[in-house]
Amino acid sequence: MQTKIILFGQIIDIAGQKELTLEDVLDTDELVMILHEKYPLLKNLEYRIAVNKDIILNNTSLDDQSTVALLPPFSGG
Amino acid sequence: MAERKPKNIFVQGPVSPQKIADSIKKHSEQTNIGAHSIFLGQVRDDLIGEKKVSAIEYTSYEDMALEKMHEIRESIFAKYELTCMHVHHSLGIVKAGGISLFVFTSSAHRKAATAACSELVERIKSELPVWGKEIFEDESYQWKQNQ
Repeated sequence: MQTKIILFGQIIDIAGQKELTLEDVLDTDELVMILHEKYPLLKNLEYRIAVNKDIILNNTSLDDQSTVALLPPFSGG
Repeated sequence: MAERKPKNIFVQGPVSPQKIADSIKKHSEQTNIGAHSIFLGQVRDDLIGEKKVSAIEYTSYEDMALEKMHEIRESIFAKYELTCMHVHHSLGIVKAGGISLFVFTSSAHRKAATAACSELVERIKSELPVWGKEIFEDESYQWKQNQ
């Protein structure tokens, strides 16, 4: 199973890319653990997670169709 | 109330003053309107340390932003007696002095238009997945933070 993760704002700077694919990630808690290990700077950033364009508040399971987005604080306008 | 379709609010680069003037002009045919309220967000040349902001580059999670904007639009229409509502937000580079956000509400009487416009601006800034990168004159940058 593959999960597509799209990145925005300063998270692109931290990861050095706009998109990632991870294999066999069951839920968002596991995803966060993997990403924090891979990109320790993420731990210092307040960001929100959207699964299929909805911001999640709790651990959410992922499937083959899931698109996860990491959203740093919004600064539009 | 008729179901509204999600509209694209994004424009590449700054919102031109001409577009704003044209938008005002178009409403002259709707003679049931008694009040317009307009908010224009302009890119400010903030001095941060010794460096001056020369432009902001905007990016967005567009699909999510348009869905969210649709939701905001519906809830504002449900809350206020509005005739119409228009929102335009820049993507890409907007130089200092350029307009990056144009919010336009119209109603029969002024209170609905002004209250709706103000609430829209606050919700756009806090709820839309849009990011501004403040670019300095020496081409270095920092990520904008909304206050």
